[in-house]
Amino acid sequence: MNTFIGSGQGVVFRKNLGHYSVHTERRDIDCVLSSRLRKQLIYPTADPSSLRHRVQQVREIDHVDPIAIGDWVLIMDAGDGSGMITEILPRRNKLSRPATTTGQRVFEQVIVSNADQVVPVFAAASPPPKLHLLDRYLVSAEASELPSLICITKVDLLTDRSEIDEVVDSYQRIGYRVHCVSSVTGEGLEEIKMSLQGRISVLVGKSGVGKTSLLNVIQPGLGLRVKEVSQGHLGKGLHTTTHLEMFTLDISGAVIDTPGMREFGLWDSDTASLDQFFPEMRHLIGKCKFGLDCRHDEEPDCAIRKAVVNGEISPYRYQSYLKMRVLP
Amino acid sequence: MKTHILRSHERQLHSSFGDFVCMNCRNFISAEAVLSGVHHRNHCPYCLTSRHLDLYKAGDRLSACKASMRPVALTIKRTIKKYSSERMGEIMLVHQCIECGKISVNRIATDDSSKMLLTVYEASLNLDSMENSMIVQKGIALLVADDRHQLNVQLFGRC
Repeated sequence: MNTFIGSGQGVVFRKNLGHYSVHTERRDIDCVLSSRLRKQLIYPTADPSSLRHRVQQVREIDHVDPIAIGDWVLIMDAGDGSGMITEILPRRNKLSRPATTTGQRVFEQVIVSNADQVVPVFAAASPPPKLHLLDRYLVSAEASELPSLICITKVDLLTDRSEIDEVVDSYQRIGYRVHCVSSVTGEGLEEIKMSLQGRISVLVGKSGVGKTSLLNVIQPGLGLRVKEVSQGHLGKGLHTTTHLEMFTLDISGAVIDTPGMREFGLWDSDTASLDQFFPEMRHLIGKCKFGLDCRHDEEPDCAIRKAVVNGEISPYRYQSYLKMRVLP
Repeated sequence: MKTHILRSHERQLHSSFGDFVCMNCRNFISAEAVLSGVHHRNHCPYCLTSRHLDLYKAGDRLSACKASMRPVALTIKRTIKKYSSERMGEIMLVHQCIECGKISVNRIATDDSSKMLLTVYEASLNLDSMENSMIVQKGIALLVADDRHQLNVQLFGRC
């Protein structure tokens, strides 16, 4: 049994299989989380909606990690490089999604906390871009009140740049910053470095889009493992990065690399107020015939539908909105 | 211009099409290909009313207009069959959106009401010049009075 020699606070920068690496002022400490604190965090007793603890639900504890990368925590230091997390300090913000558990209860999976910006990454080609997934990341970031910076990788694979220019234009028009980069040719790297400087950024995207490759060129020397996308007609990315980790950048700031996410459900987002997370729709909310009750789908005299018909709102974004309303 | 990326996005958004209730006559319409003879049922077989759901191309389901589209005229699809005459092509139904005026041309289905098709044809002979020119500008050649026999043959067989 460990004897703790002191306490302190630090930030969680890596986690893997129940072990949390915490960066403190003096050194990095490999911490664990006590079972008691874990249960308290997953089943908060103050929450009246908490279910009674049942034996089968204990299994779910293994699937849900209550600590996120970027969390500021209080720790007890054992002095030998190990420690125990005793408390999580209040979070400034968090990026969450519903955890994929087998049980009936859906748990929140906090991907990162206390970040400054979300960087949804998608490849211009190989694997083919999924714009609906990008919209989900953007909506999640809006719901967390985090600014987004869209990063389109592998632009060197494009033979016709007009393919991606239309996408870039449509997102820039609604106020998102978009960077087109290539880890191979170095195109756009300086610009994205400037945008990452001095901030804590979280890279999100599906497998194989080049999140880790981008990180390897932004911060040389990391030597993180990367793989080619699978060959054949599917051309899907392989799950190469398997854990979350925060890397400090020489140019100041930090980047959190995440494993690829093929699905990204919205957590705790009221579908009735989903429109407020679409910046281009925000100024039209309440201007429909049915006011705030309008679902912008079948209702007559809907201001948002009119804006789509007039070309002010992208029909793709509008359809993404409808799809998220049905499948949040 | 629609790019490969945007076309792929459409597929992600709309994976299937199902049965529907007609906006005009409120009949339940099955999308079963066995009943309609077509794989993409896009209008009511009873009143021939359609709905403005497509924006760039058939089946993309990107339009936010969603108003009903009334059948305004009939046309003939030009055939590429080497030994048939141009006028022997398939009868197509011309729809116009009642809100935004968009015009689309659709295949008729096996179970479309022949009576309604004839009614649409009769009405199209008296289309006002503005509507007519709007359709003609789209490069659609409407069936005219001389095509009546041809239409009867196609709808009811040789008589």
